Amino acid sequence: MTEKNMLLALFQEIDPAAQAVDKLRAMGIENEHVNVISGTPITEAMLGRPHQWTNVPRLAMGGAVGGLIVGIFFAFGTPALYPVYVGGQPLYPVPPSIVVLFELTMLGIMLSTFLGVFLDSRFPSYSPKVYVPEISDGYIALLIDCAPEQEEEVKKAMTEVGAESVKTAEVQPL
Amino acid sequence: MSVMAKPLAHAHGHEEHDHEAELRKEHLLLDPKPRGEMNAMVMDMMGGTTWKFWVVAAIMGALVLWGLVYSWGIMIAQGLGLAGVNQPVYWGLFLVHTVFWIGISHAGTFVSALLRVFKAEFRRPFTRAAELMTTFSLAQAAVMIFAHMGRVWLAYWMFPLPNQRQLWPNFHSPLMWDFLAINTYLLSSTMYLFLPLIPDLAMARDRSTGWRRKLYSILALGWRGTEGEWTHLRHALNIFAFAILPIMFSVHTIVSWDFAVAMRPGWSSTIFGPYFVVGAIHSGVAAVGMVLVAVRAFIKNMDYFIRPEHFDALGKLMLIISMAWAYFFFNDFMVQWYGGDRWTDELLHFHEAGKWGWIWFLMLICNIAVPWLTLWNKTIRRTPWAMFIIGLLINVGMWAERFIIVPVSLAINRMPFRWGDYEPGVEVPIFIGSVAFFILLYMLASRILPLVPVWEVQEGQMAHSIRKYGKEPVVTVSDLE
Amino acid sequence: MAKNHNIPEYKAEWKAGEEGKWGMAIDMDICTGCNACVAACAMENNIPFVGEEDAGYGRGMHWIRIERLWEGKYPEVKTEFQPVMCQQCGSAPCEPVCPVFASVHSQAEKLNVQVYNRCVGTRYCANNCPYVVRTFNWRDYDRPEPLNNQLNPDVTVRQRGVMEKCTFCVQRIHKAQDQAKSEGREVFDGEVQPACAQACPADAIVFGRIDDPESRVSKLAKQGRGYKLLEDLNTLPQVTYLKGGSHVRNG
Repeated sequence: MTEKNMLLALFQEIDPAAQAVDKLRAMGIENEHVNVISGTPITEAMLGRPHQWTNVPRLAMGGAVGGLIVGIFFAFGTPALYPVYVGGQPLYPVPPSIVVLFELTMLGIMLSTFLGVFLDSRFPSYSPKVYVPEISDGYIALLIDCAPEQEEEVKKAMTEVGAESVKTAEVQPL
Repeated sequence: MSVMAKPLAHAHGHEEHDHEAELRKEHLLLDPKPRGEMNAMVMDMMGGTTWKFWVVAAIMGALVLWGLVYSWGIMIAQGLGLAGVNQPVYWGLFLVHTVFWIGISHAGTFVSALLRVFKAEFRRPFTRAAELMTTFSLAQAAVMIFAHMGRVWLAYWMFPLPNQRQLWPNFHSPLMWDFLAINTYLLSSTMYLFLPLIPDLAMARDRSTGWRRKLYSILALGWRGTEGEWTHLRHALNIFAFAILPIMFSVHTIVSWDFAVAMRPGWSSTIFGPYFVVGAIHSGVAAVGMVLVAVRAFIKNMDYFIRPEHFDALGKLMLIISMAWAYFFFNDFMVQWYGGDRWTDELLHFHEAGKWGWIWFLMLICNIAVPWLTLWNKTIRRTPWAMFIIGLLINVGMWAERFIIVPVSLAINRMPFRWGDYEPGVEVPIFIGSVAFFILLYMLASRILPLVPVWEVQEGQMAHSIRKYGKEPVVTVSDLE
Repeated sequence: MAKNHNIPEYKAEWKAGEEGKWGMAIDMDICTGCNACVAACAMENNIPFVGEEDAGYGRGMHWIRIERLWEGKYPEVKTEFQPVMCQQCGSAPCEPVCPVFASVHSQAEKLNVQVYNRCVGTRYCANNCPYVVRTFNWRDYDRPEPLNNQLNPDVTVRQRGVMEKCTFCVQRIHKAQDQAKSEGREVFDGEVQPACAQACPADAIVFGRIDDPESRVSKLAKQGRGYKLLEDLNTLPQVTYLKGGSHVRNG
């Protein structure tokens, strides 16, 4: 979505917002032309919206593998690069290596999960975007991308199901 | 997890209406406020700083300068001779305080991750307060580790960095595992603090001006709250809540291995891992209680978010954890006592009847007697000042436990000619400095960060309702996540 | 009797890399506790003088100490003297716990060596040493004139914050090895003497190759009077104490 020439319908309650989602679909506006912005987490199922795809769990798995590889390098690679013998222990001791592998795998999971949120949400992005501060006061905003000739019709329909306001969305600095 | 079950309605005989009103007064999550109002309350907490705040902050700052800059600086310049360590007590209060601060840091994770995993709803208003504790007390633990080192300016040699000598650190060493575990934990808990903070930072951004607006804009990263952003965040928080728990357990287990893998009477114990973890949670949850009392007393609007029900729930947790600690302590003590090893016998005798015997008894009184004699009582659990004192005493007890384990146990070894004693030196001002640093960081953070996770409280209030079961109004929680 | 193969046979043995090369035998029956070894060691190895107060507080830095142990009750008292220094364990507990490899096992000398330059001062090695023989530089101790002229140029002077311990006078071992090499021969028994052995008026400390069965130290260790300190810990110490002979000791 280019976020231009869009309508922003503001709802205070979840039920009218869910109705609005149905209504838009009935009017022939595809799911991908509607975006939902909310101040509290609202799952797709609550609004009858399609399932949201996220890469975060996959990235976390990738991070686990990456962390494990770094751990293997620490536990088995560094003693090979510079062998130092201590306390009659073998050069590649198993129990201490397990500790190293565990910590670095976990660190890999955590870092990649954190970075995953950044990547998937395209953070940080400080460019101005469509937004109204009421959203963090608990309002639910529907961003509707519709053809100019449909605009009036959509506005009317949104007001009917109980939108607080429907207006042309304005970009504002975040 | 029966402790986490919420107290259900019990009083009959009143009118239904009263009963419902009572329930709402008791439970934050049944006493919803409009989001806008709640936002305003949280914004109000961060502003309106009085001159008293700055006086206290200045005192804390002065203590930090005295303890961490002046005293530590002199010690770095002149050597560890200024501290109380000697032969054979090579480790003293610095390591006691390292374990102490790492122990306290466990509470944040315990409260926000374990209680999140088990969906213990009472956690919601104070997860952030607890997570802040985790991050700041880990910073203090790091200060203590650095203070402990003989040549702190070479501390970076523990980093596995390629260098011209091609030397690598020793991954056989428990201190190296510690280094990895504490770094993992510090990074993870900081990220875990930051992620759920983003929506609240966006909230703060939307209703502030000037430098605050600029700061929150940068920190909120451009968060709007789109479906996608929430989905990514929810998944990430879920992964964090589950994955940070084994990290938390590993950190204190590895700290315990610093002692347990050593070839020393009293230290070489297989139960030290879980014993230390439980001890860490014991001191940590008690510290959360203390922080909540302080925060509720000194920060505006907090008495809406933190209610007697929360102290009640924490009190039950503290009681259970105290029992678990006693169980592990006795397990360790019994096996050591029964084993009959000559040196262990000497050590146990020294613990109880030696010069520091009073600390050993102090440990038992504060860790077992105090919580067991008080926390069964609901009125005490719901009285904030009483919970503060109990939390403080538990932390004194856990400090005493670490004091017994580190310097007192080091005084006795297998070469009786080289038995010794320990008198703290410059460790004391450095510890005072680190306590002041912790308080100062917390005070400053309370001016900048929303101390209550507004969206999590809202989510909880959405999920909670009162349902009539027959004539009885009962609390109902729906699983929204 | 038929051998029961289900029960493993125990045989104490050195694993590869742990077997000793240089070793010591200390005859407790003839040690008089005169402390000459302690003084000689301090001179040889540039051990700082920590002053009365620090010494009294347990910060004396001697690499070797004479443990004076009393037996019985006054007036029926017997004294025993036990010189204790680093036992150069084959399986040393101090080594694996160092996070930066400052305490390592020398593969060439089969000695437990401390790398002063690498030490960051965590003091874990000292805690894990069952013999409590590691000493720490709690401060930078000064050597007032003319004591600075006494410093041994063969031995590094250590900075504050660094752990140190007995090296078996490794600088003397190397000197003897270099000498022997330049003369195209092996180091002969008795050629290397650490400062403590050299200074001992009673000749109670004997140093040499324990991997050579013909050396004096090996023969003494095999006499039947020998034992090791805290042998049950399996640290494989390379110092053998001799006791229980027919000599009548003082006291």
